[in-house]
Amino acid sequence: MTARKPRPTKVRMEVDLGGLAMKNPVTTASGTFGAGMEYADFVDVASLGAVTTKGVSLDGWEGNASPRIAETPSGMLNSIGLQNPGVAHLKDVELPWLAAQGATAIVNVSGHSLGEYVAVIEALEEAPVAAYEVNVSCPNVDAGGMTMGCHAPTVEKVVGLCRAATKRPLIVKLTPNVTDIAEIAKAAEAGGADAISLINTLLGMAVDARTRRPQLARVVGGFSGPAVKPVALRCVWQCANAVDVPLLGMGGIATGTDAIEFMLAGATAVAVGTANFANPCATVDVLDGMADYCERHGVDDINSLIGALEC
Amino acid sequence: MSLVNEKAPVLSNRQVGPNLHLMEVRSPEVAAAAQPGQFVHVRVPGMEAHILRRPLGIYACDAEAGTFDMLYQVVGFGTDRMTSLGPGAELEVIGPIGRGWHVPEGARRALIVGGGVGAAPLYMLACGLSRAGVAVTAVLGSQTSAMLVFNERYEQALGASPLCSTDDGSFGHAGFCTPLVEQALTEAQEAGEPFDYLAVCGPEPLMRIVASMAAEAGVPCEVSMERRMACGVGACLSCVVDTVGGKRRACVDGPVFPAEEVVWP
Repeated sequence: MTARKPRPTKVRMEVDLGGLAMKNPVTTASGTFGAGMEYADFVDVASLGAVTTKGVSLDGWEGNASPRIAETPSGMLNSIGLQNPGVAHLKDVELPWLAAQGATAIVNVSGHSLGEYVAVIEALEEAPVAAYEVNVSCPNVDAGGMTMGCHAPTVEKVVGLCRAATKRPLIVKLTPNVTDIAEIAKAAEAGGADAISLINTLLGMAVDARTRRPQLARVVGGFSGPAVKPVALRCVWQCANAVDVPLLGMGGIATGTDAIEFMLAGATAVAVGTANFANPCATVDVLDGMADYCERHGVDDINSLIGALEC
Repeated sequence: MSLVNEKAPVLSNRQVGPNLHLMEVRSPEVAAAAQPGQFVHVRVPGMEAHILRRPLGIYACDAEAGTFDMLYQVVGFGTDRMTSLGPGAELEVIGPIGRGWHVPEGARRALIVGGGVGAAPLYMLACGLSRAGVAVTAVLGSQTSAMLVFNERYEQALGASPLCSTDDGSFGHAGFCTPLVEQALTEAQEAGEPFDYLAVCGPEPLMRIVASMAAEAGVPCEVSMERRMACGVGACLSCVVDTVGGKRRACVDGPVFPAEEVVWP
């Protein structure tokens, strides 16, 4: 089987995500695509706008107990807990592989403390990384992640520290599990973010009535898939109206039309996540679907769709 | 090894026992590459609100015909939906996935233990060993005689009847199959021809007990682990198994693991 790449199109697909040049607007949602190696039989990773890697911490994390996932109507819950082998492994194995493929790498940076985020970025400054995505939104860890991303002053602080550590494009990934996501987006922008990505998963839960037990070992987990798309679109639209930096939209994107909807709501680029599980070629199918839409609607530059929602 | 994502038309699908069904699909690329113990990740049509694939073991495989069989038990929405599919329906399968059975080089006597539908992913192994001239003893356990649906194929492959147990005593040894395993291990040892490989697949408590019997007898043992799975290709880390080397992925580091590496819950 040959790895697929998007079909040729005359539509201009290049976008600029806060200084990150992307050959098209589609990347992968962190944690759903590894660092691309696992999908290399299905997708030419170099043909994507970028590959966003699984969240990485300074030293390895073991992650949470099993069961770690549950299927729910039109969605799923996960509670992986940012299992990863640590930044040295990413630097030695995955990033050189992505570079050899000619892929654009966005590294999702995680930490248990403010200092750990900075240390991970510092460890990667010589590595082939096109941009960082600061993860202040994982719902499945006890320290760092969402616990930081729900508090605007903390977001501004961690983003400021990361900003001081790198000149590379800095994307900040937000959680939807807040009262006012626009306020958090403004804090990220004030801290020096070049772009904002959203949404991370919604905090959710599933119960097995037969056994009277939670379906996830950690009881609660992150909810993703088509069911969350309306929430994600609302968050993108609210943030687009609140900040000047570009947005990377995600949440339930499985088709080209889904992706176009996010761009109309204000996203400059989009990420495909949970859809990769059912369809290992989902990223390419989304790109082909976006080209279909543009050709059908006489759009010759995809940038003209960003924030073009009429309301 | 490379994976394919292939349309797999259903050739036949019939009930073979209580809650047990046998489906044959055409899937030439998977059939050509499948090794004993590997599985496929199946997209079942007509259940769009259920967004995940279902991992299913490969039971029997015919590389020349380009087909393989899956013997599945109805355990939830996906497998239930599968029972309604017949010729004309089409699955999409990613495969063949995972680390299969690894028989030690030079093995001459193998013991195969299948609990319930756990016998399915052991069948290709039994066939391969038998063809290679390895003496195979099979122990198969099930709840009741109507669920001992593997006997005929195993008997054909091995030229000998499997040792069977049923929980309700309706066929063979009454009770769990573990006493049969113990007996086979002891007899082989006493005859001066101990087993040099044991493969077990079934419910986790069964695998844990059989693995400890094998360890006691000094027989190398492998187990096939089952977990809820999302991507099936090693990316999402949903399906991890606790091992002495940390949490490892059932999909691509397994599903078959050396028993001594598994840390049982």
